[in-house]
Amino acid sequence: MAQVNGVPRPGAAPGQPCIFKLVLLGSGSVGKSSLALRYVKNDFKSILPTVGCAFFTKVVDLGAACLKFEIWDTAGQEKYHSVCRLYFRGANAALLVYDITRKDSFCKAQQWLKDLEEELHPGEVVVMLVGNKTDLEEEREVTFEEGKEFAESKGLLFMETSAKCNYQVADVFNAVARELSWREESKEGQRQRRDAPLTLSERPSWRGRCCAH
Amino acid sequence: MAAHGTVNHQRNLFPKRTKELKSVVHSAPGWKLFGKVPPRENLQKTSKIIQQSFSEDQVRPLEAKTVVLLLKEYEARTGRACKPPPQSSRRKNFEFEPLSTTALILEDRPSNLPAKSVEEALRHRQEYDEMVAEAKKREIKEAHKRKKIMKERFKQEESIASAMVIWINEILPNWEVMRSTRRVRELWWQGLPPSVRGKVWSLAVGNELNITPELYEIFLSRAKERWKSFSETSSENDVEGVSVADREASLELIKLDISRTFPSLYIFQKGGPYHDVLHSILGAYTCYRPDVGYVQGMSFIAAVLILNLEEADAFIAFANLLNKPCQLAFFRVDHSMMLKYFATFEVFFEENLSKLFLHFKSYSLTPDIYLIDWIFTLYSKSLPLDLACRVWDVFCRDGEEFLFRTGLGILRLYEDILLQMDFIHIAQFLTKLPEDITSEKLFSCIAAIQMQNSTKKWTQVFSSVMKDIKEGDKNNSPALKS
Repeated sequence: MAQVNGVPRPGAAPGQPCIFKLVLLGSGSVGKSSLALRYVKNDFKSILPTVGCAFFTKVVDLGAACLKFEIWDTAGQEKYHSVCRLYFRGANAALLVYDITRKDSFCKAQQWLKDLEEELHPGEVVVMLVGNKTDLEEEREVTFEEGKEFAESKGLLFMETSAKCNYQVADVFNAVARELSWREESKEGQRQRRDAPLTLSERPSWRGRCCAH
Repeated sequence: MAAHGTVNHQRNLFPKRTKELKSVVHSAPGWKLFGKVPPRENLQKTSKIIQQSFSEDQVRPLEAKTVVLLLKEYEARTGRACKPPPQSSRRKNFEFEPLSTTALILEDRPSNLPAKSVEEALRHRQEYDEMVAEAKKREIKEAHKRKKIMKERFKQEESIASAMVIWINEILPNWEVMRSTRRVRELWWQGLPPSVRGKVWSLAVGNELNITPELYEIFLSRAKERWKSFSETSSENDVEGVSVADREASLELIKLDISRTFPSLYIFQKGGPYHDVLHSILGAYTCYRPDVGYVQGMSFIAAVLILNLEEADAFIAFANLLNKPCQLAFFRVDHSMMLKYFATFEVFFEENLSKLFLHFKSYSLTPDIYLIDWIFTLYSKSLPLDLACRVWDVFCRDGEEFLFRTGLGILRLYEDILLQMDFIHIAQFLTKLPEDITSEKLFSCIAAIQMQNSTKKWTQVFSSVMKDIKEGDKNNSPALKS
């Protein structure tokens, strides 16, 4: 299986999608790997606890643009925290996952955000707060509003999901992808604007000449 | 995990527990999840029907496979598919249907069509004979192959049996004298017979900590008390104090992880025969070593021990194993120590597989990406269980350096594939190794790895790395410890 996935892909050909690194962060067994598995392979099954880090890739087709996610699925246990910190370096996006039936996992997600802010510059990464396991509605400990409020106060994207029932899983990744490509575009725009004075200063003279004729 | 392989090795792996295991395994409904059963059933059904038609046509009954083959060849020849109509109707209307394709070759054409010419009939006859001969040849070849595999297996079992006699009668009674002799070490490399595996592991790991079964009972009862008080108070404390929440989380996590330990074996899950044992050992350990506590990955180590040892012995081996310097460094997530192990590993990586080493370097792919999972679970999560046990065998013989040697062996085994991959694909590949990895191939690759860096051995390289790093960053803060 892994062999098939790992089909050699020598050097990126021109016109290949932009690659974005996305890290999954959150407490143990909140469903990080399940979200990844559901999204990448549309599968849900009992998953072995992640030790260290697991990896997935997925190409996202946004219609206008196409991008590729490199998903870093980190170990959730607190003890691995120091190791996981290494893995969010260079990340373009992060999903802070918590389990809506466990308040402590919601608190942990907030802590992860702090760590993330220490390591990466704000605005550099697209961060989304994800409340997973909506299929366990009757055991809910964190309300939708709580999640939303926190996300809004920190300027994060927010969504609730169920990896088990395949509820809004793809939407989460697509929203992040859209945000990434939007930011990329605006960055491109900025760059053009920064370059603009040069072209502008030349253009009038050219135009002027044009008009003179 | 390759379910298929696991079943095959079940008998060899857990000799003591065969009875219990057998019942579990056989009744396990989940095996179907892994084996591709349904298509095969279908194939058998259709071929049976075809076979029937043959015998009724007074054609020598052939093996079903041959018929399928003939059909395929016929299809290829005529360029049209001869799909049998749905099975049920076929069975019912059997007598009214045109004769089978083979019959078309053998018999004249149906009466409403012009008759075959003599040459054509002859040619058909000849072609048919050729096909049959070919198919027969193929079948004989396959039978030979099967026989060879069986022979190999017998041979293997025989050598295991004879090795077992040697281990029981000669080596174990004189353990201290014989354990490091050349002969024993060689026999050890071949893999321990499952019936003495647990015993040898226990002896090799030792009991530096002097844990007795009584002590285990004490810690177990402490763990049980804690679970009780935890379940009584869990409703009261919510967000109070992180340490309480953490301890809770750890207890919760043990419960969760137990059900996620070797799920394909169906023995550690709730209601499975070893669920409670695994829970007990992990719980007792967190009471015995609160400084280490429960760390994900431990459940796999404990599970492998449980499969080979009695409960108390498994605990003793577990605690002592985790007390080895390398394991302690990893399970305490002592980051700076882990880095030293990785640095030592890289010295041997470069020495043994320089091309791949450079390839990894070019992507700044560091060993932690794959080694963390391998070392934390002692390969029991990443390799098929029977193969992991063989790695454990030699790990017990050679110590920590064998864990890293195994890692290099895996890299060597897949060197050609890995050289073609980029960062993410290498990471993906190594954290989820192919399931068809065989012990012969892996062990020959491991054997080819030299753990002697020009003049230095693993331990020497390790201590020099320790010294370098100590001098390099004296004012660095100590490792993040949880």
